[in-house]
Amino acid sequence: MTSVPLVSVFSADDSTKVTAKHIPLPAVFQTPIRPDIVSFVHTNIAKNRRQAHAVNPQAGMQHSAESWGTGRAVARIPRVSGSGTHRSGQAAFGNQCRKGRMSLPIKVWRRWHRRVNIKQKRHAAATAVAATGIVPLVLARGHRISQVPQIPLVVEDKIESYEKTTDALNFLKRFGAFEDVQKVVSTKVVRAGISKQRGKKYRVRKGPLVVYFNENAKLLKAFRNVPGVEVVNVTRLNLLQLAPGGQLGRFVIWTQSAFAHLDKLFGTYRYASVLKDGYQLLRPLLTNPDLARIINSNQVQEKVQPAKTTKVLHEVQKKNPLKNTKAMDRLNPYAKKQRAAATAAIKANTKGTKKIKKNKALKKASRAAFNKVSAALNDATKAAVQEEQDIKVKYFSVQKGAAQAE
Amino acid sequence: MSQKKAQIQVEQKVPESIVKKTQRDSKLRDLVVKRRAERLGQNKVRRAQLEKSAQAYEAEYKATEKSLVDNIRKAKSEGGFYVPAEAKLILVIRIRGINTLNPQVRQTLRLLKLRQLHNAAFVRINKATIEMIRKVEPYITYGYPSRTVIKNLIYKRGYAKVNGQRIPLTSNTIIDQQLGKYGIHGIEDLIHEITTVGAHFKEANRFLWAFKLRGPRGGFIAKRRSFINQGDWGNREDLINDLAKRMI
Repeated sequence: MTSVPLVSVFSADDSTKVTAKHIPLPAVFQTPIRPDIVSFVHTNIAKNRRQAHAVNPQAGMQHSAESWGTGRAVARIPRVSGSGTHRSGQAAFGNQCRKGRMSLPIKVWRRWHRRVNIKQKRHAAATAVAATGIVPLVLARGHRISQVPQIPLVVEDKIESYEKTTDALNFLKRFGAFEDVQKVVSTKVVRAGISKQRGKKYRVRKGPLVVYFNENAKLLKAFRNVPGVEVVNVTRLNLLQLAPGGQLGRFVIWTQSAFAHLDKLFGTYRYASVLKDGYQLLRPLLTNPDLARIINSNQVQEKVQPAKTTKVLHEVQKKNPLKNTKAMDRLNPYAKKQRAAATAAIKANTKGTKKIKKNKALKKASRAAFNKVSAALNDATKAAVQEEQDIKVKYFSVQKGAAQAE
Repeated sequence: MSQKKAQIQVEQKVPESIVKKTQRDSKLRDLVVKRRAERLGQNKVRRAQLEKSAQAYEAEYKATEKSLVDNIRKAKSEGGFYVPAEAKLILVIRIRGINTLNPQVRQTLRLLKLRQLHNAAFVRINKATIEMIRKVEPYITYGYPSRTVIKNLIYKRGYAKVNGQRIPLTSNTIIDQQLGKYGIHGIEDLIHEITTVGAHFKEANRFLWAFKLRGPRGGFIAKRRSFINQGDWGNREDLINDLAKRMI
């Protein structure tokens, strides 16, 4: 069995004194934190306090306006009838028109309220209670709890009998909760917008939430006038107070009996709830959240395949080996020697190629043969030219002779 | 790290998951170091082998060129003619774009790996490929590439087809992995296989992606005419090298 986290109950008069040590945390505080459920439930529950309102159904429609139709060089929107005033002939009725009625005027039969499944509401409440016991969440919500001795803060039932506000204030000061109240006071601002003329002049932050158990407790009156502080009975825990704005982690001050009542209210993981009929706390997805341990365990490592390395076939940039000597040497290990040989050859004042052993005899013979052929060709050409000349001479002389004869 | 652990153990126990992880990590690290050393050793051996074969190829090329020259001279001196062997390899360059193509021509160009304008590819000459080239003659220009052109193409514009991807030839590992089983371990081996149209020319050529060349510096003459007719398309034999040099 895992060890259960323990909580101390503090004395109401002295924050250093502990009246009851090592009380086990109720099972609610072990519920998995589900901000998705909370935000869903909160957005819907928050609508349930709304009051119906509507625009005047006749607003913008109290004219006998009619469209002038086509052919009058004006838009076809209905126009105010009559004459003798600026208003006549002006557009009316449309949502786009000045002084026209709004589009889709609000009706009182708008669906103002939302129903949420009971189980969802209960899960949300349980998560919200669990979140009040997690310091980072409470800090993240913005509560000033650095001087508070313990989260969750559980105090003996004596505070339920406080009647004076001074008692309440001193109590808060003793337990470091006054810083939160001071925050509320110092950040009270006049609200932006028209609402300030409609009874919501100030925007006030939320301070601590005091949760009590006994019905005839007087602490409500004591804490009522302290800015930011809310008081609620544990049997009527409200998600809108536990997670204001859908944000988990309200700073909650529990009385001992209220704290003890939570197990009956929400039940435990062993027993279903007594007071919420048939309700069983939400179970976490992972029973063992220690991922490092799971991953490194023998059972997992036996099955796991070796890690894949990104196989890079080639560098991102291709270098031209004909210009880049490094790239060339990488591809052709013989290239270095070839280059060296080439430069050496240039240095030795010979042509870049290796000296080809010329077959001089063959060269001479081929030269001679070429000369012979070309000589023969020359002779043949000369002979042909001469022959043509002779024929021409003969022909012209014949012609001459014939002409002379004539 | 172990020193630090000893200190901690004096104060508090180290969580078991951390112990397990450090053991596992050190084992993996040793494996990596070992593999790296192996790989470096293999690389060294391969590089020596490549250098030797490159040297052998150089000698072979020189010998081939020399024998050609000698044969010509010999024939001339005897008053005859030397007819060198017909070319085995041609370089084909596509000179027409993709619009308004006859579907058979389109398909044939695709078979020759010429999917894009100014794509170039090596093609072995045989009856089958001659017919294919005849079909697409007005859309390509081709000829017999010189050794320099082949070398420059593969070095500068050489990309490989690996797993359907176009991978640049930046190191011999790529070539070794794909063509090692055909005895081609490096880029000089590849060039040799292409130039001499060896036994594994098919695999070597298939390994190469089509060369994507730039348009020729100085331009074409007239793509609408054949090379013979003072134009560009068709067989231009050895003059393909001038064009290729302008396009690489």
